[in-house]
Amino acid sequence: MKYRREASLLILVAVLSLLATLFDGSFVRDNTLDILINSIPTMIISCGVMLVIITGEIDISVGSLLGLLAAILALLCSTVSPGLGIHPYLAIPIVLTIGTLIGLGTGCLVVYGRVPSIIATLGLLIALDGAQDWLMGGGDIKHFPQQLRNLGTGTKLPINLIFTILVVVATGLLCRKTALGRRIYAVGSNRSAARLAGISEAKIKLFVFALTGLLTAMAATLWVAKLGNVSTSTGAGLELKVVTCVVVGGIAIRGGRGRLLGVVLAVILITMIRTVLNFMDLGSEAVKWQRAIEGVMILVAVTSDHFSQRQQSGGSS
Amino acid sequence: MNKWLSLIGLSLASLLITGCSGSDSERDDGTSTRPNSDRITIALLPKLKGIAYFTSCAEGAQQAADELDNVELIYNGPTTASADKQAQMIDKWRLQGVDVIAVAANDPAVLSESLKKAQDAGITVITWDADAQAEDRSFFVNQATAEAIGGGMVDTMANDLGGPDAVGEVAIISATATAANQNEWMKHMETRLQSYPNLKLVATKFPGEDQNAAFQDSQDLIKKHPNLKGIFGISSVSFPGAAEAVKQAGKTGEILVTGLSTPNDMQPYVKGGEVKTVVLWNTQDLGYLTVYAAAAIRSGELQPGATEFTAGRLGKKQVSGDQILLGDILLFTTENIDQFDF
Amino acid sequence: MKKFAYELFLLGLIGVVFAIAAILDPRFLSKNVQLELSSEIWELGLLTLGMTLVIITAGIDLSVGSAMGLCSVSLGLCMHANLPTWLCALACLVTGLTAGALNGSLVAFMKVHPLLVTLATYGMYRGFAEGLQSATTNAPVDASEGIKSLAAGTFPLVPLLFAALTVWTAILLGRTAAGRGLYAIGHNEEAARFSGIPIAKLKFWIYTYTGLLAGLAAISYSARRSATAEAGMVIELDVISAVVIGGTSIEGGRGRIAGTLLGVLLIHETRQFVDWYWQRSELTLIVIGTLLILAVLGHRFLFAQNPKTR
Repeated sequence: MKYRREASLLILVAVLSLLATLFDGSFVRDNTLDILINSIPTMIISCGVMLVIITGEIDISVGSLLGLLAAILALLCSTVSPGLGIHPYLAIPIVLTIGTLIGLGTGCLVVYGRVPSIIATLGLLIALDGAQDWLMGGGDIKHFPQQLRNLGTGTKLPINLIFTILVVVATGLLCRKTALGRRIYAVGSNRSAARLAGISEAKIKLFVFALTGLLTAMAATLWVAKLGNVSTSTGAGLELKVVTCVVVGGIAIRGGRGRLLGVVLAVILITMIRTVLNFMDLGSEAVKWQRAIEGVMILVAVTSDHFSQRQQSGGSS
Repeated sequence: MNKWLSLIGLSLASLLITGCSGSDSERDDGTSTRPNSDRITIALLPKLKGIAYFTSCAEGAQQAADELDNVELIYNGPTTASADKQAQMIDKWRLQGVDVIAVAANDPAVLSESLKKAQDAGITVITWDADAQAEDRSFFVNQATAEAIGGGMVDTMANDLGGPDAVGEVAIISATATAANQNEWMKHMETRLQSYPNLKLVATKFPGEDQNAAFQDSQDLIKKHPNLKGIFGISSVSFPGAAEAVKQAGKTGEILVTGLSTPNDMQPYVKGGEVKTVVLWNTQDLGYLTVYAAAAIRSGELQPGATEFTAGRLGKKQVSGDQILLGDILLFTTENIDQFDF
Repeated sequence: MKKFAYELFLLGLIGVVFAIAAILDPRFLSKNVQLELSSEIWELGLLTLGMTLVIITAGIDLSVGSAMGLCSVSLGLCMHANLPTWLCALACLVTGLTAGALNGSLVAFMKVHPLLVTLATYGMYRGFAEGLQSATTNAPVDASEGIKSLAAGTFPLVPLLFAALTVWTAILLGRTAAGRGLYAIGHNEEAARFSGIPIAKLKFWIYTYTGLLAGLAAISYSARRSATAEAGMVIELDVISAVVIGGTSIEGGRGRIAGTLLGVLLIHETRQFVDWYWQRSELTLIVIGTLLILAVLGHRFLFAQNPKTR
């Protein structure tokens, strides 16, 4: 069955919704939109990291990068000191450019510097976190112009969600309908064959890293717009959440395989775990175990699937 | 060929160093005190860097250091509220031979060993903002005890909800489940809540240092508990997160948020009405007082048993036992918040 | 000599750090200071021994720091219950062993990619550590006198243990069939399978060994500070960085304990000196991250025998 992974993720989402509905009859009606909106940063960045992993590389710097870009945007836009009070429509393109350039730089380290991507991005994860703290200086930055906040809190329409859906659809089209998409898969599934077919591995990889940088900048913009506050802890730990979502979504960590649909479902699943646990009446003692429960659920999601995969491929190996 | 050249260069460099460090061997005891003993080096250690609370403390401390012309101030702290990193910094300061270490302790137990060693090395150890174990320091610059903080937040909330007979459900959003200070405050909050029989604590959440999680937890609480009247956001991440969630849920005025914050930091939410009252003390004065106290203790001007001492522009400050008292908790509301700038 | 060219390069880099220190603040190089600051190094060193083996097989273990936190909490619970010292230490080691064995069995027998397994257990072990601590003592537990004198007393048990384990691990890696097996797995797992190397067994044991080392590191840490769920927070980044800077290839098949030791020393001295001299926590992060990238770049361009192999 081709969509086995997607089906099991969908079942998990349904089971969790049902579980929460037992505690609160109107769970689905009240929370669907909020869960989707809360998943936005993870969703957008996962689209990029998914493509990186499909090419056989990985990017674990996105959490720190989001933090740094959010800090830059905050400093540019904030209307009180130390903010510069630049109009958001000018500041956002600057941040998007910086994000793309940093992504491109990561790609260069990997492609031309031949630094394994997990190490290059681990170095960036640490260094960019320091850079973010350095830049932020004293404390949180608030006071953003309304034009920026409107992107996140919407007046009537959830602009950020519509934008995210567009990003997801575009990524899906890129994967399925374009020559570039096929090349991304080709590079990851069989490097030598791809090379023989005349595909430039270097260019493809530079593209996916740069795209991840750009998407991270978009996520940073929407993050600031939604929460209206940037602190030194902004973005911390997001890289692990993103990688978890991508692999739970069925993207093979060795590259070449996996579909966007699975990733989208995994992002929703992992975002909703928190809300579902919030809605179940965990007592004051149980709530202390929330992080452990989340960990167990993720471990189960990661391994259970390998059970079924192993049974599937058991005959061939 | 290139690589061998660079290798030889590096090896030469390392040889050079061996020589260098050899010639410095007479200075082997890195802990020796500085020759000009009238200058005092004070190392000020916050719980963490990068939040407005401690940055404003540092500003006040720097003012005091500038006024006292024999004080050199070092300000550094961990980037997350890590007691382990604090202990490492204390160890380094001890080896560098600073004169005073002033610590806002993330965790008394974890810091104990390092503080004892620092005292044994002849360094004056004091605490400020959050105390360590009493035997590990000489004085505590006390802006408010955990009891006063926890109780103060509850009293403020109850007052804003209608006084002693306040009715409704309240919830706490903390940091991680193991955050020592927050746990201490929560203990006292729960005790104080018992004197308001109609305020019911319905949930406690631990979103960690994750902004998005703090927002999500608040959002879920608001929906899950329709009778929720108040949220305590007791970390620098959860306070603005809760206020923003209330705002976006359209519950401004119906659900009040309170917590600890500098007035500048939460000013937008006070003006917006999500937060009626912010609880704090004058953080600049706290940093200022800490440096004055450190200098006075080091010079012997302030000794155990004293009942008061003069701290620059703050005038006479009361000393009670081994605690130097800053003064009262301040409440910032929409009426007075513009009068403060820190 | 040529075989150890990269190790000499690392030695040179450590020399550069010392040179900078000698110019800026020679007090940093005094015996007393170096000795005192070295207490930070043992836990990092212990964990890198296991991590080197894991990375040589092209694996990774992101959960070491979290496992260390869990071990520290279980040690704290035992000390809180006033159990005898040996039992406390044993419980801590068994916790580590169990955590490692769980990683090991998922990687070795269920054939889940180690990055996925340890990404999940990274959150899970830390979650259990925090849950356990806040549900029981709700505060870190001071190390008992027994544990203190065992691991942080006058007798340098931890450094000696580290030295012994280093030698043992180096011999295992360089002189035994198991060691050759590990390199073979990292180099080409398929080929290793055909040459009859017990892949699953070896993999299981190296993750379990890493877990055991996390238990040891937790005892050392708890004796120095206190038993807390905070133990080992973000140490995995330093551990992996040290191993990779030490010349072990993240793609597997290459690496030596000697290099790892120098990697540990380089990271330790750099971090300590930047912290010591500039007193800016955020600067230390920037320097360490850059150092990691530069070291690997340096390895690629100065020492790669065959630039085409990636």
